[in-house]
Amino acid sequence: MTSKPPKGHFNILYFARAGSFTTKNVEALPAPLPLSKLFATLEERYQGIKETVLDNSLVTVNLNYVDMPGGEDGETGDEEIVIQEGDEVAIIPPLPWKCVM
Amino acid sequence: MTQRPGPNSVSAHVDNGEDVPDSGTSGASVSRRLTEEEFDRYSRQMIVPGVGKDGQLRLINSRVLIIGAGGLGCPAAQYIAGAGVGTIGIVDGDVVEVSNLHRQVGHAASRIGMKKVDSLITHLRGLNTLPTYVPYTFHINPQNAADIISRYDLVMDCTDNPATRYLISDICVLLCKPLVSAASVQKSGQLIVLNCPPTPQGRLDRQYAPCYRCCFKKPPPPSSMLSCGEAGIMGPVVGMMGVAQAGEAIKILISALHIPSQDHSIPLERNLAQPTLLVYTYELENAVGPYSFRALKMAGRKKNCFACGENSTLTLEGIQSGTPNYEQFCSLPSPNFTLPPDERITASAYHGARNRGEIPNHLLLDTREKEHFSFGSIDGAVNVPFGKLLTKAAAIKREGGAASDILPPVEESDVAEDTPIFVVCRRGLDSQEAVEKLKELGVNNGGKRRIVDIVGGMKAWKDEVDPAFPWV
Repeated sequence: MTSKPPKGHFNILYFARAGSFTTKNVEALPAPLPLSKLFATLEERYQGIKETVLDNSLVTVNLNYVDMPGGEDGETGDEEIVIQEGDEVAIIPPLPWKCVM
Repeated sequence: MTQRPGPNSVSAHVDNGEDVPDSGTSGASVSRRLTEEEFDRYSRQMIVPGVGKDGQLRLINSRVLIIGAGGLGCPAAQYIAGAGVGTIGIVDGDVVEVSNLHRQVGHAASRIGMKKVDSLITHLRGLNTLPTYVPYTFHINPQNAADIISRYDLVMDCTDNPATRYLISDICVLLCKPLVSAASVQKSGQLIVLNCPPTPQGRLDRQYAPCYRCCFKKPPPPSSMLSCGEAGIMGPVVGMMGVAQAGEAIKILISALHIPSQDHSIPLERNLAQPTLLVYTYELENAVGPYSFRALKMAGRKKNCFACGENSTLTLEGIQSGTPNYEQFCSLPSPNFTLPPDERITASAYHGARNRGEIPNHLLLDTREKEHFSFGSIDGAVNVPFGKLLTKAAAIKREGGAASDILPPVEESDVAEDTPIFVVCRRGLDSQEAVEKLKELGVNNGGKRRIVDIVGGMKAWKDEVDPAFPWV
């Protein structure tokens, strides 16, 4: 299974298309990180990932679904959540994605 | 030795006179004796704690609709039929092709060219003649979906495209049908039970089960940068999801969870069942990569959900007349741009120019995934998978570094700053985007170097130049 993240980090798992985009299945990112900053942090590393992957994926923290804060329709999410050291975050895009060509 | 009841002992064993609850929308009391054949056939599952005679009769009196007779639908249908579900509808407009057989276990080499629905029903009849099989040899669409789904107690989404997935979920919300939804691509699978127990649209007085839109509010954007090579599917991965899907459906029917929540005779606590998304992944790149299952706790029905939420305007009439427009919502990507003519060359023109020695020194980048490249490539082509190219481009932008690092290592003497680059992909979309990216990074050396897209990719190469090329 996934190895424990190093001290001061959390693990983020990239499933399906998220894995294709980042070319990895898992990586460790610095913790703590407010959930509301997660997408911006990933966009900085993987330009274009927000629009093509993150905005249509669901996100879990420690196997629990979380409502991403700052949705475009002004709805509130789990603003108060802060990703902690040792947490496991997962990015889960919908299946299937249709191959274009 | 197993004791088998003789014909005369059947009633003593199976007719205990209990009233079996109505199985739901399919009406009529279901309390009756099991026939001897039913008793023999289903005995091994009926003695499992939690099934019993009542559970088996609920299965026999249930009507299950399986939408999609492919990689998910075949294994799912086998177990649904085996378990004795009384009426099994199957919807699919496709015909069996040889490339289906590595995963679609309900078809056979002898039935290539037959409608998948007919082929699968042939297979299922071989397993169990007792169920009634109802073929729908066409694709489900907004015009026919409600009529078909309304005839069933539970729906299994075994389809392979996003638009249909939203359509099926929406109709299930409106008709109060539980939906067991599975999906699989490449090495990933997902399974989730939706709208179960089914609850009328807009009801939010307590926690209810989510619909597909509560989980995945919107589909991937049309312009998403998907590489052509991303298709493909592993048989055991999709098979596992189909089997698990049948397991969930059987569980729901045996437990009578498919009866809508407006029925007040149903105890409240069953509404509290935690919706769970099962995610299966399977690692091939690293030989020692483990498989993994993750069970993710999902949230309940969303207040503002487009389909089941409190102000939803979704109606059956609307869907039938084209609102929402599912195709547009999940529209197939159209190329965002087409490069100008001087940055493109047809496969045959490129081939001709090579043969005539007009482009003696050039780089040919093939941006297909390495699996596609492994079957064959144009002489001299260098494989730079599109995904890797994008990642590298992003890294160069973020961290700086020489733009030329994006090119494969080549002999310095072979490459001058005006050595042209030709880019080819599988069908001609990624290569255009790759040309744009390379220019953006300045690989064209301020216009001294031409970067040219080969129109239509290796598909065009096969069609125009080399009919024997092993294109996948």
